[in-house]
Amino acid sequence: MMSMPRIPTRMIVPSLLLAALIVIPFAAPLITAEDPIKMAVRYRLAAPDLAHWLGRDEFGRDRLARVLYGGQVSLTVAFVATSIACIVGTFFGLIGAYFRGPSEFITTRLSDIVLCFPPILLALLVVTLFGPGAGTLVAVLSVLYFPTFARIAFSEALRVTSLDFVEASRALGTPSRRIVLGTILPNIAGPLSVQYSLTAAAAITIESGLSFLGLGVVPPAPSWGQMIRGARQFMNQDPLGILIPCAALVLTIYAINFFCDRLRDTLDPKGGAGSGMDDVSAPLALANAPAIDDPDVVAMITDLRLETSRYGTPVAVIEEVSLTLRANQCTALVGESGSGKSLSSLALMGLLPGAIRQASGTLQLRRKSGDVVDLGFLDARTLEDIRGNDIAMIFQEPMTSLNPIHTISGQMIEAILAHRPMSKTEARSHAIALLKRVGMNDAERRIDSYPDQMSGGMRQRVMIAMAFACEPRLLIADEPTTALDVTIQAEIIELLQSLRQDQASGLSLLFVSHNLGIVADIADRVAVMYSGQIVEEGLADLILRDPHHPYTRALIESMPSSHEALHSTGGDRLPAISGTPPLPSARPSGCAFRDRCPIAIASCAEIRPQLYPSPDGERSVRCLRAPEAPGGLQMSRTEAA
Amino acid sequence: MTQAPLLDVQKLRKSYPIGRRGLFSRRTLNVLHDVSFSVAPGEVLGLVGESGSGKSTIGRAILRLIESESAAMRFKGQDLNTIPSGRLRDLRKDMQIIFQDPYASLDPRKTIRAVLSEALDAHGLHRGPARGPRLTELVNLVGLDPSFLDRRPHEFSGGQRQRIGIARALAVEPSFIVCDEAVSALDVSIQAQVLNLLADLRAMTGVSLLFISHDLSVVRFISDRVMVLYLGRVMEVGPADQVHFAPKHPYTAALVSAEPSLHRENRRIRLTGEIPSPLSLPSGCIFRNRCPYALPACADTVPQLQTVGDQHQAACLRHDIL
Repeated sequence: MMSMPRIPTRMIVPSLLLAALIVIPFAAPLITAEDPIKMAVRYRLAAPDLAHWLGRDEFGRDRLARVLYGGQVSLTVAFVATSIACIVGTFFGLIGAYFRGPSEFITTRLSDIVLCFPPILLALLVVTLFGPGAGTLVAVLSVLYFPTFARIAFSEALRVTSLDFVEASRALGTPSRRIVLGTILPNIAGPLSVQYSLTAAAAITIESGLSFLGLGVVPPAPSWGQMIRGARQFMNQDPLGILIPCAALVLTIYAINFFCDRLRDTLDPKGGAGSGMDDVSAPLALANAPAIDDPDVVAMITDLRLETSRYGTPVAVIEEVSLTLRANQCTALVGESGSGKSLSSLALMGLLPGAIRQASGTLQLRRKSGDVVDLGFLDARTLEDIRGNDIAMIFQEPMTSLNPIHTISGQMIEAILAHRPMSKTEARSHAIALLKRVGMNDAERRIDSYPDQMSGGMRQRVMIAMAFACEPRLLIADEPTTALDVTIQAEIIELLQSLRQDQASGLSLLFVSHNLGIVADIADRVAVMYSGQIVEEGLADLILRDPHHPYTRALIESMPSSHEALHSTGGDRLPAISGTPPLPSARPSGCAFRDRCPIAIASCAEIRPQLYPSPDGERSVRCLRAPEAPGGLQMSRTEAA
Repeated sequence: MTQAPLLDVQKLRKSYPIGRRGLFSRRTLNVLHDVSFSVAPGEVLGLVGESGSGKSTIGRAILRLIESESAAMRFKGQDLNTIPSGRLRDLRKDMQIIFQDPYASLDPRKTIRAVLSEALDAHGLHRGPARGPRLTELVNLVGLDPSFLDRRPHEFSGGQRQRIGIARALAVEPSFIVCDEAVSALDVSIQAQVLNLLADLRAMTGVSLLFISHDLSVVRFISDRVMVLYLGRVMEVGPADQVHFAPKHPYTAALVSAEPSLHRENRRIRLTGEIPSPLSLPSGCIFRNRCPYALPACADTVPQLQTVGDQHQAACLRHDIL
């Protein structure tokens, strides 16, 4: 975000350049004692000398003085006109967007009318009517440019007005004037200030153009357009005369545009870093991958560590994550936001965001052919072949993962043809068969509809059908039901269950979720993540019925559905854990949970707990006080509560 | 109820125009159909329903953030439909809202001090030297540190932002707050903290809440009474535990049974079909096309709310079978 008092480093050079170009013309009396309109025909077109650094023009006037004083006129006209356009346009835009109704009509129609005229024609018309001169120029340019400001202010204000914080201000009874000026205006200032710089640059050009045509500033007053006009006739004898005003013009416009570009980057909350596309970081190949002998193992994550960089130093976002995914098994990855559960699953797809780097560990996958590959050793082509074919993924929000401008059939056929050589008609009938399999009635007809013609539940069914298009061995479902209503959620979970049992090749499902209730429904094994680590892992029944890690226990205890006898009216409180999960850069020493842990002891700050396996190997837990830990002192559930 | 209700809403309707058919006739989409309810002083009324049920619309209609029609909408005896705009501003001091999205509900450019001051300034409360102590008191009330006052929202976690949103609503000492999915965007462990905070505040200040949520367990825990909505109509209303554990409407029963639970064996009531489009609702009972108990008679009459227990009403012809 923008922090107002500090000027970002990248703004320093463009700001200084722009400031210099504006200040220098207005400091003209300090720079030269010459009068810009005093003629000396005797010295016409004289070459530069010590007293007249840039020589003299066709009437013997000092060029330095003319270019400086001309700059005063050009810049004043441009900035005054732009400021008027900006203030008037913003006013109309804000009023239109906040009050809607008739004021919206006036704002949009008024700017439409002005936008209908070709700008130069409109300018010519007004100048012809009112006669040339700086005042007319300012008026023309303001009228020309106010619609752009009105449009931008209108659409931006419309966006901001719909945000909750504006609604909150209205609910508080804050007067409209204060909401518009104090809340909406600051939030649309970014795009407006960029538009201001762009318009100022354009205004300088138009001013010069009109002056060049003799319709702008009246001679003998200097302006850059006037200078070009005058020097044009003597271009062959005296090229300097035309080069000087042109250079001034180019330099000024360049400085303004340079300033705009940097300003836009600075005002953009994303900081303008990178190319917009997420670079996918190449996974790191490590030689010491463990051999997978068990044919049931579909994928294995070993000792994964993912890092991001903060002020140049690497910060681990995920540490020591190991997970074995087997055929015919559903493994749930559970955790709160920021726990690293989604990153772990994206690493398996080779889709880590550019800022995240795999620092160590291996990601192995058994392909359909039976070969075990290390995802870190693969080139981009092979990875693309694996995605969709061996591993498929469904996401939380089916609306954003489906392309709204293509029909379902188009998107499904494309997905099928990407991995399977067949004709389009075959692909279409395959797609229809898939939609029927995911429980879509009337699939033959509905396959030709667009995503927005379907309900959220149906869209998620389409995503599931697409994921199953190539019978993957591993399906990653990242919060697939979080955006859905409970009744629809239950249907989708049931669908995933039945598809899992149908698939002959033995599907392994990695189910990423924050909802322990759903996990209890679908998962065979559970891995609970906290602050980038797996803190407890094992059979779902064992973990959820009798959690050994205090965090797992706290998670279950915090759910209101765990306390059907409690009611707030009776003065009951939910057993909540205090505090919030630590940021990756501020994890405490020792156990990451100890700050919030009800049973933490002194050694929790000193020893980093390992994942201690139980004697039967069915579960493991990362807690010094768990019974699995060497010498662990387990407190009973009641004591902890 | 012997006490006069704090808020009394009769036959609330809301419709949106959706394009024209011919020059004068407009097609409208009705999102609320004659919703009536009341909230007693100090009471928490839970509002549950799936997306499209109109639950958020009700909250915004009461606060007059959107325009609506109703036979009567009385808050502390004043008719909200006819109140002049000057009086409405005064009334806003008494009715507040807490939003779902802790990221969108705070102006990214304002410090917490400015956010809370806006609330006080709007009604000329705690001016001058009294301002500082009041702001400190507010942040303490929601369990935050006073040193947070001069920071901006992006420095806070979702749970902390939600607490700031609660402090903003409490700043003007309202007697009624609409909580629109106020804990839905929070992680489980943070959600429990905020729920406890709301329960404490209610016990301390006696504020009434309209608690809107899609999460039935959360609503049951926090509410005295619960109202279940389906496509803009009230299906069932009654004491929280009764509605949750002994629902009388098949839709409520299906909702409760669909909720994933760690502790209950799931015996889910299967609903057939999809939620109908609000533009082409079934005749009679709007739930009948998905209802496992529907009879031919359900297509003929729109079932009215009828008393099925103490303070407990359901709009179902077959409420006796559950």
